[in-house]
Amino acid sequence: MFRFQSLDEDCTLEEEDEGLVEEEDEIDQFNDDTFGAGAIDDDWQEEHKRLAELDERDELAAGLGLGGGGLGGEPDLGGTQHSSSSSSSRLPPSAGCLPLPSSLPPLGFSSSSSKLPPPDVEDRPGDGDLAESLARLILEADPAIAGVGAAERPGPPPGSSGSTLPGLHGLDQPRVLQQTPSIPHQHPHHPKLPPGPSASGPPPSSMLSYQQQQHLMRRGTAPMGQVNSHSIWENSMGFGPVSVTPGLVTHMEDSPLMSIIKEVGLPKRPPQGRNDEGRDLSERVPPPRASSPVIGSPPVRAVPIGTPPKQPMSHALNHQNSPLCRGPFPPRVGPVLSQIQRAQLLNSQVAGFPRGGPGPPLLPGGGGFRPFFGGPPPPHGHRMGPPPPHGPPNHTPPIRHNTTHLHPQHRRMLTQRMQSRGGDRGRTGGDRRSRDPYSNLMTQKEKEWVTKIQMMQLQSTDPYLDDYYYQNYYEKMEKRQERERDSSKKEHTTKLITPQVAKVEHTYRPVQFAGSLGKLTVSSVNNPRKMIDAVVTTRTDDEEKREKQVWNKRRQILYTVEKMYSLLLEVQDFEKRFVQTPEEDRDALVEQHKTNTEQLCSSLREKEWDDRVSDEQCVMIMSVRKGKRLISRLLPFLPSPQAAAVVMAIARNLPALAKKDKQDQVLCWLVEPVSTVIQSLSSSSLTDLLQELQGNEGQLATVLHNKFGVTLLYLILSEGERMQSSDPNCQLMDDNRWTELVFSVTRELLSVPSSSLSPPLFTPPNLLSLFSRYVDRQRLELLQDKLQMSTLSR
Amino acid sequence: LVFSLTLACRCVFQLFYSFFKSLVGKDVVVELKNDLSICGTLHSVDQYLNIKLTDISVTDPEKYPHMLSVKNCFIRGSVVRYVQLPADEVDTQLLQDAARKEAMQQKQ
Repeated sequence: MFRFQSLDEDCTLEEEDEGLVEEEDEIDQFNDDTFGAGAIDDDWQEEHKRLAELDERDELAAGLGLGGGGLGGEPDLGGTQHSSSSSSSRLPPSAGCLPLPSSLPPLGFSSSSSKLPPPDVEDRPGDGDLAESLARLILEADPAIAGVGAAERPGPPPGSSGSTLPGLHGLDQPRVLQQTPSIPHQHPHHPKLPPGPSASGPPPSSMLSYQQQQHLMRRGTAPMGQVNSHSIWENSMGFGPVSVTPGLVTHMEDSPLMSIIKEVGLPKRPPQGRNDEGRDLSERVPPPRASSPVIGSPPVRAVPIGTPPKQPMSHALNHQNSPLCRGPFPPRVGPVLSQIQRAQLLNSQVAGFPRGGPGPPLLPGGGGFRPFFGGPPPPHGHRMGPPPPHGPPNHTPPIRHNTTHLHPQHRRMLTQRMQSRGGDRGRTGGDRRSRDPYSNLMTQKEKEWVTKIQMMQLQSTDPYLDDYYYQNYYEKMEKRQERERDSSKKEHTTKLITPQVAKVEHTYRPVQFAGSLGKLTVSSVNNPRKMIDAVVTTRTDDEEKREKQVWNKRRQILYTVEKMYSLLLEVQDFEKRFVQTPEEDRDALVEQHKTNTEQLCSSLREKEWDDRVSDEQCVMIMSVRKGKRLISRLLPFLPSPQAAAVVMAIARNLPALAKKDKQDQVLCWLVEPVSTVIQSLSSSSLTDLLQELQGNEGQLATVLHNKFGVTLLYLILSEGERMQSSDPNCQLMDDNRWTELVFSVTRELLSVPSSSLSPPLFTPPNLLSLFSRYVDRQRLELLQDKLQMSTLSR
Repeated sequence: LVFSLTLACRCVFQLFYSFFKSLVGKDVVVELKNDLSICGTLHSVDQYLNIKLTDISVTDPEKYPHMLSVKNCFIRGSVVRYVQLPADEVDTQLLQDAARKEAMQQKQ
């Protein structure tokens, strides 16, 4: 309806309305641009569909036919009618229905020039009459229209139209007749016409007449139950676009008017116009920049990122939208399918898209979409297969994660989980899928396009670095599972191969314009504008300053620990990175690695020049929880002498460490790395170690009191035993130290009350055999009891 | 200065994004800034830490009956206050390492 109105107002040439009309025109234009054809409701669409058909037929009729001419004369009639009291009859009255088929077309147009000039003089005051008579015409035409029916078109050649719509012709009479009384007895509805609106004087003819027309038509439809609005509209509009513009006609301007009418009257615009525009929209390239730094500009694309994917059925679209083209203004609507059309299209196209909603996922970094990776060529090796297909019908609606990029473990876990859950509620969700009104709102292409944009931001040149947690987590899980299950199950050993984008080195060069004064800012997504023109100065002595500032010992320790951690992480990653770097860079990497390791070692020393691992430093580090963790991770990476030294230091200072660990109780983190180190020790070192552990008087007791201490002791003993039993030539027994030490240990073990003997983390199995060498049976049994007891009482 | 910040911001996002990715499929409780707590299975997460939960239920007293019929939801990342996780699904050491790495990267 609105559209119709705007069409009407657009075509008016009245000055007073021009401003208003233009605004509304623009608004409508914007509306269409924004919302497309779909913003208007269905009725209108259907009407336009019919219009299209109507117009086709209308075109066939030569010269817009009688109907057009008849209506074209309408406003005049209405005008004359209204002011009938005042105006004199201009034309000779003719009684009855005199079909004037031949006269009417000229009446419509040329008559507008020939016969109507006299009425022109009285045009303004006659406007109301015109409107009224127009309205009347349509009203009178109602029964005729109803009789004719929707399908039949009142646009045939003049002759036939005359027969089908006698009423209309009859109404033409008033145009000739001028007198009111002649009409009423022909048209019983006349009394219903209100003379009201027009009595106020010469209103702007186009608007009033149209409004009146509408108003009256509406009133006209009330009694006419059988006439549906469509038919009214049809026929009124079927009279050609001329009916749309009664206002225009009222002006009676000859050649410009006629030309306009003819223009307006033209039905379809050629659809190619729209096609071109559609193509234009999607292929428009952003204007090239004056200068584009490498980093500063996103990659120039033929199709800019922001454009939606092209609609696949553009020709279908054109047919549908052809009514739109018929507007007097160029079609402005882009290639957008209306909601309904699209839904129809897609429902036919796409079969069963269960829960298209969660489909395009928020998930994986690096993207799991094949089309996306068509661009930057990555190794596609990871293609884990398409996302899990819909399970058996029981599983509806299956929650579809996009799992193409997940680690195989992860994916397996997810599917397992979903299966176990889906079985429970499969039945209830069965019919949900079939009735989902929100499915198929987007085509697959569109979904992929949206996700493509998202994924672009996640493109990673170094997935291991950017996605550190995820990658490592699943690696660890893999290792764990490998350990737990038997290796015969090959499925668990699939590796995750992530797609990688080739790393492009960008050196940023600020944009410079020749001959410009100062720095001009050219900002883009990738380089936002510079807020501060600050120069970065590396201050090498800053660290030292900071260290001096750090007065809190603990803070200092923590700081040291953190520094070491970063070194440690670098060292840890060395192997992985080594594999990845190309040949030529490998030497540099090895160098770096060496430096890192050196630094790590040196950090353990107290003084730079001191070659040995400093006890104090170690203890200091280990006084914090983080430090213990650090050392435990660091040990494997240290060269063996240093590692041994560290272990020695630990053993030596165990009581202190144990005391400091009372709160955290995390010394046991050290067990594993320490045991590894112990196993690599030589016999003499081992003996030394045991000696250190025993230390001064009373140390052993505290050692035994601590879980870690006990475990450490056991480890040492077990190692010694292993050495002895495996290698008969071992030098362990060369000097008596070992034996003595073991003796003292056993003595201590026996004497210490069980309560203060802390259960170890584990008891090596060969301890018994060890003890059997050194103690008699009785004591052995005692020891056995004690140790077993302690193991049990854990 | 400013340009490197944009790269750094990306790094910060990556840490938790990476972290949440490993939790996909686990049950979590998301507490929002409007005090609504939602328990559900983490379906997916994106770089903005928007969260999709499936099979949700409102924890605590059902003060929010309008959520009764909702099965799945999408939560914008910026409205999340807390995400409660199962402790055994998190490797704290690894998380610490990842954070250290991020810090190192940011410094560069």
